[in-house]
Amino acid sequence: MESTVVDMAANDAAYDALTPDLQSLVIDQTEHQGQVALTCKTEHQRQLLEHFRNEQGYDYLVDVTAMDHLGMDRPERFEVVYVLRRIGASGHQFRLHVWLSEDQAVLPSVFDLWDSARWGERETHDMFGIVFQGNPDLRRLLMPEDYPAFPLLKDYPLKGAGERRQFTRVVPRGDQMVEEEPEDYPTSIGRGMHTPEYEEEVRRDSKPR
Amino acid sequence: MTPSPDKGTRDAPVPTVKTLRTELEKGLRAHRSGARPASVMEMSDSDGDGRLVMNFGPQHPATHGTLRSIFTLEGETIVEADVEIGFLHTGFEKLGENMTYQQWVTVSDRMNYLSALNNNVGYSVAVEELLGIEVPPRCKSLRVIMCELSRIADHILCVGLQGMDLGAFSIMLWAFEKRELIYDIFEAICGARLTTSWTRVGGIMRDVPEFFPDLVYSFLDEFPPLLTEIHTMLLNNRIFVDRVKDIGIVSEDQARSWGISGPIARASGLDVDVRRDHPYLGYENYDFKIPVQTEGDSFARYMQRMEEIEQSLEIIRQAMATLPSGPVVHDDFKTSLPTKDAVHNDMESLIHHFKLVMLGHGIKPEPGACIYSATEAPCGELGFFIASDGSDTAYRLRVRPPSLYNYAIFPRLVEGGMISDAVAVLSSFHVIAGELDR
Repeated sequence: MESTVVDMAANDAAYDALTPDLQSLVIDQTEHQGQVALTCKTEHQRQLLEHFRNEQGYDYLVDVTAMDHLGMDRPERFEVVYVLRRIGASGHQFRLHVWLSEDQAVLPSVFDLWDSARWGERETHDMFGIVFQGNPDLRRLLMPEDYPAFPLLKDYPLKGAGERRQFTRVVPRGDQMVEEEPEDYPTSIGRGMHTPEYEEEVRRDSKPR
Repeated sequence: MTPSPDKGTRDAPVPTVKTLRTELEKGLRAHRSGARPASVMEMSDSDGDGRLVMNFGPQHPATHGTLRSIFTLEGETIVEADVEIGFLHTGFEKLGENMTYQQWVTVSDRMNYLSALNNNVGYSVAVEELLGIEVPPRCKSLRVIMCELSRIADHILCVGLQGMDLGAFSIMLWAFEKRELIYDIFEAICGARLTTSWTRVGGIMRDVPEFFPDLVYSFLDEFPPLLTEIHTMLLNNRIFVDRVKDIGIVSEDQARSWGISGPIARASGLDVDVRRDHPYLGYENYDFKIPVQTEGDSFARYMQRMEEIEQSLEIIRQAMATLPSGPVVHDDFKTSLPTKDAVHNDMESLIHHFKLVMLGHGIKPEPGACIYSATEAPCGELGFFIASDGSDTAYRLRVRPPSLYNYAIFPRLVEGGMISDAVAVLSSFHVIAGELDR
């Protein structure tokens, strides 16, 4: 990852206001086009966010989202992103990136600090399968409740994993329309969901990289 | 409603969302097996406690889209509300990982189809910020003018629909009539009315036609009387005012904590506006006010939108007066598409064009670059989080839709009110399902 490591005295107000103890929890600082991103480990996420909310007055959680780094040379598979802003004259804004492992994709929820985390975390859970422990309403947000997969994972194909074939179909038989139960189609989360035919189809349709 | 004796008492257990859903599932299964008609669309009182479960939407005229609310009613009072979204989920973010940066402009139209142009501009600004390029002054001014026109179209439609939902149907027709003037301008500059796809990364599709100033100035003359007419009609309409005053109150603290942005936040007294706080496209050069209300009810949201329209008109006047001449596309053709004329007449531009549109070439930001860029769309803060891996498609393209965070608080606002209040609140929230579900 090419990134510019910023000098400690650079324009990052959020980092400068941290106590030395908390500064040691920030494992990386990157800057692109004047926007600062701090990075921390999973276990320090809650402590840092509490500090930013309660001590530094970042009272507006703009967004919660995540990235999937499957197969990339990164410390962990998931990177959860919080965009924080302080409303008012300064309007300072920065991002906190949290590394999250694939095996233990669980983070403490921050819905008690910002209510906007309720749906932000819910959507991140819906799209990546990350569990935000403590969130009172972690149902699926956009996908159907019984959907078997998490669509924004990098190993989930663009055209879907065959879920659409699982619906009951109404087909003509003779002069009647009859309901046909879906065939047992193998779906599971992760790579095992592809059948050879489907993988061939995806390969044919995907663009050259 | 007083429960009748044979219907049990109020001490009966309150149905939770989970039991409600189980009920619905049961009804659906029974329907599939042909046992009885689906209970999904009918009110059910299976517990016999006098409470009814009603589905408000997804196909209800007042939802203006596919929004489903599940209300538990005691008489006509909503005691518990829950919403379900995702009916229009289209996987735009996943598409962003599989389409090139220029291609995704057309997808951004389809998010908020009532202010497609603001989405085009918001996305282009985000990619330009990721690449670190600055568009020419004429392009900036034109984008500002069109953004503000689009904002007026969106706000006036919302006001019209608010009137329509509360029985003042003529407001909607008046609003649509004047909104046509704006859509004529859209048609003149890009040929499309709804899905404009007007911007490109690094500029705009093509320069505006010669008669563009005439169109805008005649709009600026014809439009303002409508505002007075609507105010006269609605503020003297006792039914309208009674139904929106003190309904669906969002406090300032709530607005801050729930991440609410745009007119809804400002109607609650939360003074946020991306155009002023984090200026883009040279918004800092225009002299305009950010109107703020304090009440936070549906009436304040109506007033807020009307006042914002006036400010948008003011911005358009200033931008038209200072519209610079010059190119409308960034001059580095490694990232920006050359104009069509140049492509057809000039070998070098043809090569640039070819390189940009071929898969595997195109725009390639530096690997590992991440950006969160926000613009002020009519509904609120429209943000894009884009991460690049150095290829011609984004590694991750996250849209922060204003409607999603605005809508999250909706169930809490309608609990305790009447069903008709839910309509009044929903129409003042102006939630666009395409953007909500993406």
